[in-house]
Amino acid sequence: VLCISGGLPKPTNITFLSINMRNILQWSPPEGLQGTEVTYTVQYFIYGQKKWLNKSECRNISRTCCDLSVETSDYEHQYYAKVKAIWETNCSKWAETGRFNPFLETQIGPPGIALTTDERSISIVLTAPEKWKRNPEDSSLSMQQIYSNLKYNVSVYNTQSNRTWSQCVTNHTLVLSWLEPDTLYCVHVESFVPGPPRLAQPSEKLCVRTLKDQTSAVKVK
Amino acid sequence: GQEFQFGPCRVEGVVLQELWEAFWAVKDIVQAKDNITSVRLLRKEILQNVSDVESCYLIRALLKFYLNTIFKGYLGKAADSRIRKSFSTLANNFFVIASKLQPSQENDMFSISESARRRFLLFQRAFKQLDIQSAQTKAFGEVDILLTWMEKFYQ
Repeated sequence: VLCISGGLPKPTNITFLSINMRNILQWSPPEGLQGTEVTYTVQYFIYGQKKWLNKSECRNISRTCCDLSVETSDYEHQYYAKVKAIWETNCSKWAETGRFNPFLETQIGPPGIALTTDERSISIVLTAPEKWKRNPEDSSLSMQQIYSNLKYNVSVYNTQSNRTWSQCVTNHTLVLSWLEPDTLYCVHVESFVPGPPRLAQPSEKLCVRTLKDQTSAVKVK
Repeated sequence: GQEFQFGPCRVEGVVLQELWEAFWAVKDIVQAKDNITSVRLLRKEILQNVSDVESCYLIRALLKFYLNTIFKGYLGKAADSRIRKSFSTLANNFFVIASKLQPSQENDMFSISESARRRFLLFQRAFKQLDIQSAQTKAFGEVDILLTWMEKFYQ
């Protein structure tokens, strides 16, 4: 696309939003050009290699995001990406990300949670989140297989006593004991990996009521 | 607590999380100073498929190089106080680890130590192809690659 480079201000806030290795480049329109018919073109670069590469599906697009998950799927590499704005015959200079390291920067999504209960305990079964995959039919890869030191921060809230407590677990099953019968407990879980600081993705809150105390029920009869 | 186990070489008393936090505090600043993005010093093939036994030789060579060639020259130029603080945390911990590594010098380990040496030479050769300042900046910016590999031996 022939255009006068630098005729427009650059896009701003260019970053990767990465969750379970789904890596989406996102940016904001150039200052003062919100709402105008600006289009954008994206390129990416593999650190240590020679050339910037095009992303054909993100050439002359009007949206302000571009999914680069396929292009950045080898998490033993690091990457750069850049985007420029085009409007009529003018275009901006490239706006570039810092070095993106998906292995260290992707947010680890919450695990799946299954709760079963009896009078005084709740059993929690966790399922590790899955790595993003291109096609639903592709075989799944658990984030546990990528991060062998994946851990979970389990938070439990007693809705009656208003008390919350948390514990860090590495295995996928956990039994909460010495609970109150006939009480509603709510659980949410965060996955985390030791190492550089990462944004956390807390799970939905799941609530379950412990069963009534059967012994007191018998006495009543 | 946790310790490093590079094959037979064990190193206690180092909290890897502190190294991560030290580097992460300056990652963007340091990596932004590296303009030679077409060169990666710690390439995949250098750190891939390193056996446990070989890892002790390799990590020792890398840490000594970082201490003697990268950190030594870099500190004088690091004007930014954040960089200096992170820098000294990394350098002190690298020194502790390197000084506790005692790889075997037995003859029967020659082929393994040679394999580690070849890997290290790939790194050193790439380093020497750049001017010293650019190379030091690049190597400092690649500490995340080094720590990611070291984490595999931290239990």
